Amino acid sequence: MNEFDDNEIATLLRLKRHEQPPPGYFENFLHEFHRRQRDELLRQPLWRICMERTHDFFFRLNVSSLTSYPAAVAAVLVCAAVISLRIYQGPETMVAVQSRPELSATADGEGQWTLSSPVATRVFSTRPLRNSSESAHTHLRGSGTPPRYVLDSVPVSYEATFKF
Amino acid sequence: MDKPRTDEDQQLVARTQSGDPGAFDQLVVKYTPRLYGLVYNMTSNHEDTNDLLQDVFSKAYKAIRGFRGKSSFYTWVHSIAVNMTLNFLKKRGRRFQLSLDDVDASIQNDKEFLELTATSSPVREADLSELQRRLNEAMMKLSDEHRAVVTMFHIQGMPHAEISKILRVSEGTVRSRLFYANRQLQNYLDEFRKNPVA
Repeated sequence: MNEFDDNEIATLLRLKRHEQPPPGYFENFLHEFHRRQRDELLRQPLWRICMERTHDFFFRLNVSSLTSYPAAVAAVLVCAAVISLRIYQGPETMVAVQSRPELSATADGEGQWTLSSPVATRVFSTRPLRNSSESAHTHLRGSGTPPRYVLDSVPVSYEATFKF
Repeated sequence: MDKPRTDEDQQLVARTQSGDPGAFDQLVVKYTPRLYGLVYNMTSNHEDTNDLLQDVFSKAYKAIRGFRGKSSFYTWVHSIAVNMTLNFLKKRGRRFQLSLDDVDASIQNDKEFLELTATSSPVREADLSELQRRLNEAMMKLSDEHRAVVTMFHIQGMPHAEISKILRVSEGTVRSRLFYANRQLQNYLDEFRKNPVA
């Protein structure tokens, strides 16, 4: 027969509630919790902090569907695709906008053209802009280089018109 | 032990999810004593308890946005605490050192303590601190799962239904574990009674 019955065992176990941590432990616990959170945050890489802050921002907007990481990744990919598409189309579009269709050059064997030349479709090259030293040759007639209607890095009007 | 009001917890959880860190601080202050008792009596080590408790609240804070309120915050945070403690105990294995807290002076006013020491019983004859140490040793001899149910039922005062939700087992399993654990504790303390010097 057991000396300790079920009730005494239960009572002894309940008395364990009186086993308490040192005084002030619970009062300091919250401060310790904040300190550990700060330390953990500082240990995180910057990209993860930014990601979590973005996540928090959308969550506070109560846009629950956007807080999921797959949706966020998809959104980032879509934005990247749109941006890259614009960059890819950018130079040719800019050249086509700036040049006048009626003034497009007609390719001929000598590389010369006139304003009366019929309109023709020409594929413009996307070579880098000429530097200021080349700008002086823009309007020279009879030169081998056809005129360009793309602004140079240094407009002709900006060049010094007189010298002492 | 009274179960905390769930409506107050729901408000604090909602505020936390809205980005109010002060609301979570209130939850921490509210549940630290209760969770401390739970983890401490499962580990019997104050230092381990402190570290675990910090990790429990850290995990709860990170996961609270996903908390949908299907269970009470009380049950949810206790589940986190129990699971993390069980995982810790599995890793710790048998390499542990008792680091017991002192018995608070309030025990002198405890009705059950007074009744226990007033009657003619083995408890009256034994030194209480020695008995406490023996009881803790007996607790550590139990398996982690049995110790968990003993802690939650006898020490924390949780009902069987609540324990079953936290551990995700049936109430029958909770009752059978309690029965087995009680028998183990009785056998060990009886040995102490018969052989006080070990």
